[in-house]
Amino acid sequence: MVLRTLFGIALLSATAGAGAASVRGVVDVRLELRPPAARPDPSALETAPRREQPDRRRSVVYLERAPQGAFEEAPRGRVVLDQRGEAFLPYVLAVAAGTSVDFTNSDVTYHNVFSLSKPKRFDLGRYARGQTKSVRFDTPGVVRVFCDIHSHMNAWVLVFAHRFFAATENGAYRIDGLPPGHYRLAVWTDGQVRETRALHVASDEDALVEDFVVEK
Amino acid sequence: MRALIVFLMALAASAEAAEPARRPQLVLGGEASVSWGPEDDGYFNEAAYGHNLLRTARLDLLAALRVGHGLEALADLRSENFDAPRVYALYLRWRPFAAREIQLQAGRIPPVFGAFPRRRYAQDNPLVSWPLVWQYLTTVRPDALPPSADALLAQRGSGWRVEYPGYASAAGVPPASAARWDAGLEARYGHGPLALAVAVTRGTLSDPRFEETNDGKQVSARVEWTAAAGLELGASAAHGEFLDAGLPLPPGRFQQRAYAIDAEFARGRFLGRAEAVYSEWDLPRQGGIDRPLSAGGFYVEGRFSVAPGWHVAGRVDRLEFGDVVGSGGPTPWDAPVRRLEAGVGWVPRRHALLKAVYQRNRRDAGYVRELDAVAGQLLLWF
Repeated sequence: MVLRTLFGIALLSATAGAGAASVRGVVDVRLELRPPAARPDPSALETAPRREQPDRRRSVVYLERAPQGAFEEAPRGRVVLDQRGEAFLPYVLAVAAGTSVDFTNSDVTYHNVFSLSKPKRFDLGRYARGQTKSVRFDTPGVVRVFCDIHSHMNAWVLVFAHRFFAATENGAYRIDGLPPGHYRLAVWTDGQVRETRALHVASDEDALVEDFVVEK
Repeated sequence: MRALIVFLMALAASAEAAEPARRPQLVLGGEASVSWGPEDDGYFNEAAYGHNLLRTARLDLLAALRVGHGLEALADLRSENFDAPRVYALYLRWRPFAAREIQLQAGRIPPVFGAFPRRRYAQDNPLVSWPLVWQYLTTVRPDALPPSADALLAQRGSGWRVEYPGYASAAGVPPASAARWDAGLEARYGHGPLALAVAVTRGTLSDPRFEETNDGKQVSARVEWTAAAGLELGASAAHGEFLDAGLPLPPGRFQQRAYAIDAEFARGRFLGRAEAVYSEWDLPRQGGIDRPLSAGGFYVEGRFSVAPGWHVAGRVDRLEFGDVVGSGGPTPWDAPVRRLEAGVGWVPRRHALLKAVYQRNRRDAGYVRELDAVAGQLLLWF
């Protein structure tokens, strides 16, 4: 519920597009987030294959309220969410509304990607190795993605109405192009907004540093 | 036996080199389901333990303890209709070589025969009932003998309560049982699209056993071929001593022999399966029973996802029986049964599934020969 408002349409008086300021930093996740374990399957005759371990600490940092005009200029493109070693990789994708996500299957087994989330309900059916099926995410919000065949496989797609977001890479993030103004910066990790904090961009030249520690 | 022990020790030594030790990991899971439907006066859906599949609450607790070196212990503790929990599965699984698809299993193990009983419980069953050949109680019993063909024919269509002269009444057994698993040893080898599994167990397909009652072992085997992406074909065979050793038996072997073929095809939103099982049981040749009793079952089922979270499914199912010659001439020794089931499934949220089905049953003999039922099932898992 909180997330829905965060991805909603809230405008600030600053005008997007003119800014050259940036905010960067590190999200230090100290939670114990184990990779999702497969349910025991006593009915199988064989040992489960070796699985990839998706990084559940991958976080998304974003502006709760974006500058005016930001919604018209959100970049729309294509990104890949791979299925490999019975895992979705990466565990979290952050995209702008209008982006198409290519769900590739790199495993020898079938996968069946689906979502029951309100912003985007879909069922791609079963498809084999080397095949790709795509979904375009037009509505901002949080979309939980699963595999119908492998119940331990799950991932998140965070869809934003603006371009002021970044997913962490090895804990680091950077958001560019901020016009001067007052904002709130939020950190999302493993299904929850962990912290929000005020951010003041005084000029186009600002290079702000905001580090976060996620402990709960 | 000594050679087997030496072989296993050699495998163990190799396994140490193949995979380093790691911290033991305990993983738990569970599944709860409740099915509701009308009274089944004809016992069409009666399964083992006196539970009817249309009116059953079931709780499974699953556990896997992974201890490294390719070794894990697996268990499934099951309670139906709030009975005392039973050990449905409890065994050790060992993969001695990380790079090779060789597995050994020992304990109360999943059957290698056929396809249906290894599916993931109610979650992987698109309908509420089970295929007839894996559930329907026939009039053959491992613990009682019909004295004649006429005594056998008198019981047609009443497998849930079989009364042979001189024996207390009790339920018969299905051609193959999915309600409980057998105890024994199993080995599987996979190479590319082919896999072979062989098991030696205490009971038989109809009457899986934890305790030995029949003075003999069952040998079963299965070969599986992934012919193409989404197309799997399987063939199985089994034979083992069937009748209880305590019965007054003449000299000879009294076995159950069974053969099966199965196929699964999946593409896009469609999943289709078919399986055929043939079984025969040796009984003492007396009173006009002069050949093994035989039964053959066949089903085809399909599931189609019509929208995210919604599917439709259907199954056509038959179970036929061979003839015996009674005073009225050749007659199938039990009453042939036909079942049609169709329904819809809805996933309101991840880890929850709601099913509603219509089921039509027809039987050629018995006090009740028809059942038309609407039933539902709610399934939750974690």
